[in-house]
This record gives sequence, structure tokens and C-alpha cells, in this order.
Amino acid sequence: MNYSKNNFEKQGRRNFLKYLLTGGVVGFTGAVLYPLIAYLKPPKQADVEVSTVSGGLLSELEKDSGKIVRFGNKPVILVRTINDELRAFEATCTHLDCTVQYKKEMGVIWCACHNGKYDLAGRNIAGPPPRPLQPFRVVLKGDEILISKQS
Amino acid sequence: MNRINFIFTVIFIVTSAVRIDVYAQEDQCFICHDVLGDKPSELFKNDIHLKMKISCSACHGGNSKSDDMDIAMSSKEGFIGVPKGNDISERCIACHSNEEKMKAYGSNLPANQHELIKNSVHWKTSITGREHILQCTTCHNAHGILKVNNPASPVHSLNIPQTCAKCHSDAVYMRLYNPSLPVDQLQKYRTSGHGILNSKRDSKAADCADCHGSHEIRTAGDIKSKVYPTNIPKTCAACHSNAEYMGGYKIPIDQYDKFKSSVHGIALFEKNDLSAPVCNSCHGNHGATPPGVESISKVCGTCHVLNAELFSGSPHKKAFDEKNYPECETCHKNHDIVTATNALLGVSDEAVCSQCHSESENVKGFKSAAEMRSLIDSLDQAVILAKELINEAEQKGMEISEAKFRLRDAQQAKLEARTMVHSFSLDKFKEIVEGKGLLVTSSVIDEAKASIDDYYFRRYGLLISILIISLLALALYLYVKKIERKNTG
Amino acid sequence: MKNFWNNLYGWFDERLELKELVNFMEKKYVPVHRHSIWYYFGGVSLFLFIIQVATGILLLFYYKGTEDLAFESIQFIMSKVEFGWLIRSIHTWSANLFILAIFIHMFSVLFEKAYRKPREVTWITGVLMFFLALGFGFSGYLLPWNELAFFATKVGSDIVGAVPLIGEPLKIFMRGGEDVTGATLSRLFGFHVALFPAIFSSLLIIHLLLVQRQGMSQPMEFEGKKKHELKKMPFFPNFFLRDLILWLLVLNVLAILAVFFPSELGQKADPFAPAPEGIKPEWYFLFMFQTLKYFPAHIWFIEGEVVGVLLFGAAGILWLLVPFWDKRSSRGERNKLINYIGLFAVMFIIVLTILGWLS
Repeated sequence: MNYSKNNFEKQGRRNFLKYLLTGGVVGFTGAVLYPLIAYLKPPKQADVEVSTVSGGLLSELEKDSGKIVRFGNKPVILVRTINDELRAFEATCTHLDCTVQYKKEMGVIWCACHNGKYDLAGRNIAGPPPRPLQPFRVVLKGDEILISKQS
Repeated sequence: MNRINFIFTVIFIVTSAVRIDVYAQEDQCFICHDVLGDKPSELFKNDIHLKMKISCSACHGGNSKSDDMDIAMSSKEGFIGVPKGNDISERCIACHSNEEKMKAYGSNLPANQHELIKNSVHWKTSITGREHILQCTTCHNAHGILKVNNPASPVHSLNIPQTCAKCHSDAVYMRLYNPSLPVDQLQKYRTSGHGILNSKRDSKAADCADCHGSHEIRTAGDIKSKVYPTNIPKTCAACHSNAEYMGGYKIPIDQYDKFKSSVHGIALFEKNDLSAPVCNSCHGNHGATPPGVESISKVCGTCHVLNAELFSGSPHKKAFDEKNYPECETCHKNHDIVTATNALLGVSDEAVCSQCHSESENVKGFKSAAEMRSLIDSLDQAVILAKELINEAEQKGMEISEAKFRLRDAQQAKLEARTMVHSFSLDKFKEIVEGKGLLVTSSVIDEAKASIDDYYFRRYGLLISILIISLLALALYLYVKKIERKNTG
Repeated sequence: MKNFWNNLYGWFDERLELKELVNFMEKKYVPVHRHSIWYYFGGVSLFLFIIQVATGILLLFYYKGTEDLAFESIQFIMSKVEFGWLIRSIHTWSANLFILAIFIHMFSVLFEKAYRKPREVTWITGVLMFFLALGFGFSGYLLPWNELAFFATKVGSDIVGAVPLIGEPLKIFMRGGEDVTGATLSRLFGFHVALFPAIFSSLLIIHLLLVQRQGMSQPMEFEGKKKHELKKMPFFPNFFLRDLILWLLVLNVLAILAVFFPSELGQKADPFAPAPEGIKPEWYFLFMFQTLKYFPAHIWFIEGEVVGVLLFGAAGILWLLVPFWDKRSSRGERNKLINYIGLFAVMFIIVLTILGWLS
């Protein structure tokens, strides 16, 4: 009786240890694998490129139009002029930090907040903006437009 | 003819023979030329210099004491004839920049004109490349120089506009020097408050020199110029803020003080923003005059185009016209325009809308104003909340630069909404505040919250992992103990 | 189930003669005595190295070792990649603990004179790996291409340049040019992920094989004692499992450090910006950096810095060759000199590190 109880206890302890070990190993594997797999899963934003950003495809940007491209944490306005030239400027209005846009009717870069206007060289030509827009460099790589900081 | 000859002969004999030693002390140049009756000596009769007993020879050289033409006007005696080019001014400078000489003549004129004019555009520039664009004589005349307070002087306040216009209204001449400079200043000046008073012979009214300076005239783009944007308010205030000077005129003198603390004044003086309007931006410069009631919105609209446009299309346009309210000024005032805040909008006491709209009067506007205000207030609060959350997330070391980037759009919606107020259309206003501002802000708030949640997720994740790892370690420890017990036992 | 494992084991056993290996490991014993705790630090170092390799490989998936992208790619890892912050933080923390563990392991070996015959080669490979670990630290520090790293690398490589004759060419070799530029980044990146790991792994294999072959060193006072008087523990599984437990605890510490003190990134390096204040190397270089500061500008006709660098070089070589000039320990005699030298080195490093930290 005594012996068998002892044995039973021993058996129980052994089983407990077995479960503990198995559980521990399984848990540990999970704790390591979960962040690992999450890490290896490709992130939403495909890749990092900040000193140069892609402005999309030239064929997708009409003549006499413009668009806003994100450059790091600031916007850049890319304009394809009526003469088929590509220009890019910091898209933050020098007046009160609104984001500017290309206005086809007027042929200028325009700020909707206070009707500031810049010509296609980025110079402030009308309205409240006190300074011109900072230009960016644009290069064409095949069909892809690349915008980079002017050094 | 014979008679004239006779008189000449007599004078000649008399002067040469009888009073020769007396005349030797007199200005022989003038005596002789006066007799000849030529134009320079005619003009010189009234000249301040003749009254000071300054001889022709002071400028033309030669010996004024000799009545012998050959001696008096010989190069040996230093006769130079009519000075040419810069030599003209050199003759003036020789005395006028010499304080002692000026004192000797009992003059209290300053002796710094040369120093001042050296910096002027007239002195520094040259058409021919050999001489200054003008000489002293250009403005002061050569032989009929009068005191500045003499109403006949070309540099007397009443005459200055005409004097400057000699060149500045001459399109052909000005083209030689600065083709883009307008030549209509005099014409505009005559329409200005100053010009009209000037025509009425009020010498207190500002003339060219009062704003541009006299000797030290710099170009408008010169930072030291009296008409450089940052200097204009002071230049105008020199008269307009002087209670004594303005005494006779029935206009206020507090414009400068008001302007200084206005949004435009702060932009100009504190932020050094040269695009900020100064006095002449609204009043004109050469044609300076207060804008009329109907033109105020056009004047403000040169910079605030969108607001002016929206206002013109709004129901307020007609109402203001009927009541003869000045458009922008009614709500924003004129010289003391301060940054428009949300407080202007709405139906509270400090809000401008409640001046005309109340619960009993013009009720529709009253309701719209109240709703607009609550809309923009809620956007403001949402933006503040979003910023706080982003801050919190950043302080917790979370990277949410993208959400921060998008918050720019909310900021922009805020600014656009403030502009859109001028349409006085609740729908348009709502579209921007709700459709643009609040939409973005709420998504930013969500993202920031998620980011803060992630921070706590990391803490909980850590806790769970530590538990698991420790559990495994414990299990292993028990296992080792078991083995060792078995070995020893 | 059990059958399956047995069969699998059998399959490998037939081909690889695993039994021999198990027999060898079962017969391998670890001495048990009051200094046994120091035996664990070799294992901890090994574990941290494994972590470094694993997290390093993971980081390589997203890191870009060029001037324009290095900083941004780390920013990307920290913000966009899930658990990127964890992997990078563990990599940096583990690097620091790795060097700390190596320091402890190395000094415990020194004080126990475990380098004595026949373990000279083990000692030399160990010291070489220690030098390499410092090289890992130095080269890895630049990789985020932030302001601090940029200037620390500049200062660090300048010190190398102070060595007479070979210093200047060595500096240019390290920098990949006259100055610290994108070329330096590419170069140190190459060292960090290819050259150093290759050399380190070879040394590590030799080191571990020797440890297995020769067994654990015993303290000198046990020599000559009878076998049954000595307490011991089987390497496998007893000691091995204890090792594992400790590894898990170290992993816990790493996780806590990574979550509460994640690696920072700072500002992107700008070669034209003025050096920020208080440029300090990583803590494990601090004692050398601080010592060099105390050297006078000139000693006789030589620059003080040169003397300092040469002295450290000489000390390094002497350190590497300890088993060869400490003949007494190899003969089984007590050599107190080594204890004094070791004690001096520990005190020196601790005091100067603290001084460097405070300055």
C-alpha cells in the first residue's frame, strides 16, 4: 500500500515533469518562432528608399500635370510641364506649411490655403509665400522617374 | 550803336583809370560779366554765394582781382573755364565739405552732403562711366543757387517734385539708366493726398525727398534705403505719428503703433518677412491715399486672393454693399489687423458675426455661424488629441512618422476651412472640416492609439516570453535534479 | 512514436557512429569544486555568439550597407518590420553581453592558470577570438551610419593611425580611403558579416574541439590528488543541461533589456556636421580611450599617443603569449605574479572604464 502510493506519487511527479518539459519546449519554440516568422514576413511598405524615391512611371504621368510623392516624411511635388520637362520641389508651402498642388489652368504650383502661387521654377510669384520652394533633382531611369535630394 | 560804344569806352576809362585801386578789391569777374549782361551773371545776382561775396573764380578759377582779362582768365592764374563732369561737384565739395570754411562764412549748413551723396544711387551709377549721374548743380542750379527755404529754390519742398521729375519723368532719359523704372511718379504724386496739398502750396506735405531722402538717395532694394520695406513704416511715421506735425490735419496718428502689433507688422518686423504688406502696399506710394470703402477688398485681395474671391461670391457681398460696410475691415479692422482666430467666428460676444446676427435678427446666419464654430472647434480638438497621442507614442519609443506625416492634411484642412469661412456657406465649410479634416484626424488618432497599444503589447509579450522561458528553465532544473538523484541514489 | 525516433537515431548511428560520440561525452566529466561556476562563462559566451549569428543573419535580410540607405534601412527595421526592433535590440544587447562574458571567461581562465600546458593553443585561440570580438564591436558600431557611430569610427581609426610605420596604411585600409566615408561603411560591413565571422568560426571550432579533447582544466591545487577524492559531474547531460538553464536565463535578461532599453538610432551621419559633444567609444574600448587621454603630448621625442598605442600593442602580445612566458604554472608550480598581473589588469580596466564613463 505504502509502496504503491509512493510509486504512484513518483509516477505522478514524473508525468508532471514530462508535461512541464514538453510544454516548456513547445512554448519556448513558439515564443521564438512567432517573432521570427513575423519578422521575416515582408512588411507592408515594400522597401526603404529615402535619399531617392520613385515618382512612378513617366508613362503614367500626363504632360501638364503634377502629383505629390512622399519623400521620407515630407511631400514632394513632381510636375511634368507642358514642354515635357520634369521638375520636383518640396511640396510644403513656404507660407504656412500647406501642401501645394499643380494647377493646370494657371500653369503654376498652387497652394489652396491662401492662394500662394509658384512658377515652375519654384519661385513664389503671387500670394503670401515668402520664399521659393526647395527644388529636388529628377532623373529618368528608363520609364521610371527618380526624385532625389539636391546636394 | 555808337552810343553803346561810347558808354563802354567811358566805363572802361573810368574803371581802369579812376577807381582802379578800389576795384582791385572787388570781384572783377562779376563786374565785367554783369556789364556784358550774360545769363550766368544775371542769375548769379540772386545767388547766395554772391551775397556771401564769393567770386566766380571760386568755381571757375582765375584771378578775380585783376581787371585785365588776359591776366584774370589765364591758365597761369588757375582759370579753368566752365567745369565739366565731376569737376563741377568737386568745386562745391571743396567748400561745402569743409566745416571750417563753412563756419568762416557764418553758415550753419551741415558739411556732410558729400559723405551722404557718396552712398546715393545718383553718385554711384553712371551712364557714361566717367561721371556721376548727376552733379550738385543738377538739382541746386549752377548760378542762381538759393537757400532751401526760399520758395524759388528748385529744392524747396514745393518745387522738389518738379525738380526730380526733370529726369524721372523723362522716359527717354531714364531708359538710358534704368529702363524698368517707371516714369509716372509725378503724375501719380499729383493724385495723392500729399501731391494735392503740395499743389495747394502746403510745404508740410511730403515731397520726394521726405520719403527718399535728399542727398543719400538709395534704391528701393537697398536695405538702408528709407523706402526699403522694413523701413517704410518708420519713414511714414516720421510725419504721421508726430502729433505736433499732424496737428492741422484731421487724421489719426496711431497707425504706426497699431500696425506694429498687427499680424502684418509682426510678420515684417519680427519675422523679417519682406512680403508682408507695409503702408504703401495698401495706400500706394507715389499716389498715396486711403483706399475707399469699395476698394478695400481689392486691396486686401491682392494678397488674400482666395478670401476676396470667396467673399465676393458670398451673400455678404450684397449686404455689405447695401449698408456701405467696408468689406474686410468690418470684421478684421485696418491697421491693427491681428491673426484671425476661431474666436472671430460664432455667436459669442467676442465673435464678429454677432454684431449683425442674433437669435432674433438675421437668424439663418446666426445658426450657421454657431455651427461653423462648433465644427472648427471639434476639428481643433481632434488635432490636439491626435498630436498628444502621437507625442505619447513617440515618447514611448514607437515609430509613427507616417501618421505624423498624415496629420499635415488635418492642419491643412484647418487652414483651408478658415479660408472657406469667407464663402459664408455652411455646406462648403462642412465639406472641408468633416470630409477632409476630421476624416484624416480620426484615422491618425486610430493609428497613434494602435501604436501605443503596441507598446503595451511588447510589455505583455515580454512577460509571457519570460514566463515560458523561465518555465522551461525550471523544468530543466527539475530534470537535472532528478537525474542526479538517480545517479547518487 | 518512440520507435520512430529510435529508428532515426539508428539510421544516423549506422552511418556516423554516434555511439562513440555519446560514449565520449558520457565519459567526459566536469570537475566540481568551489570555482566550478567559472566553467559556465565559456558556454554563455558561446550561446551569445550563436544569438549574434542568428540575429545578425536576420538583420541582413533588411539592412543595406550603403551610405544613402544604411540609416534609413535601420529606421525601416525599427518601424516597419514586425519585431524588427526586437531583433536589432537583441543584437546590440547580446553584443555587449558577449564581450562582457568573454572578459569574465578570459580572466577566470587566467586566474585558474587553465592556459598552462597542454592548453596553450586553447588560450591563444581564445585571446584571438577576444580581439576579433572587439573588432566585431568596432565594425558593427558604424553600420547604423548615425552621427555617434560616424565620429566614434573616425576617432577610433585615428588612433590606429598613430601606430608608427604601419599605422597610416592600416588606417587607410580600414577606412577604404583617406577619410571615413561610404567606402568605410562598405568595408566595415564586409568585415563584420563575412571576414570576421569566417575567422571567428574557424578559431571557435579549434577552441571547442580542444576543450572536448582535453577536457576541462582543473585547478592546480587538485593536481596530485587521488582520483576518488575529486568530485565530478558528467558533461552530458548534467553539465550540458545546467548550461542550457543558464542560457535560458541569459535569454530572459536579453529580452528584458531589449524591451526596456531598445536600441536607439539618433541622427543620420553627416560628414560635414561638427562633431557632437562627448564622443565616447563603446564601453569595452573606454579604458583604452581613457588611458590614451592621460598620456602627455610628448614623451621624449615621441608623441604620447604613439607610446600609448605601442604599450597597448605590447600588452596585447604579452597577453596572447601568457602560456609561453609563464613556465612555472606549466611546471605545476604556483606563480603569484600572474595573479598580480591579472588583478592589476582587472582593476585597471574597471577604474579607467569608470573614469571614462564619468568624464
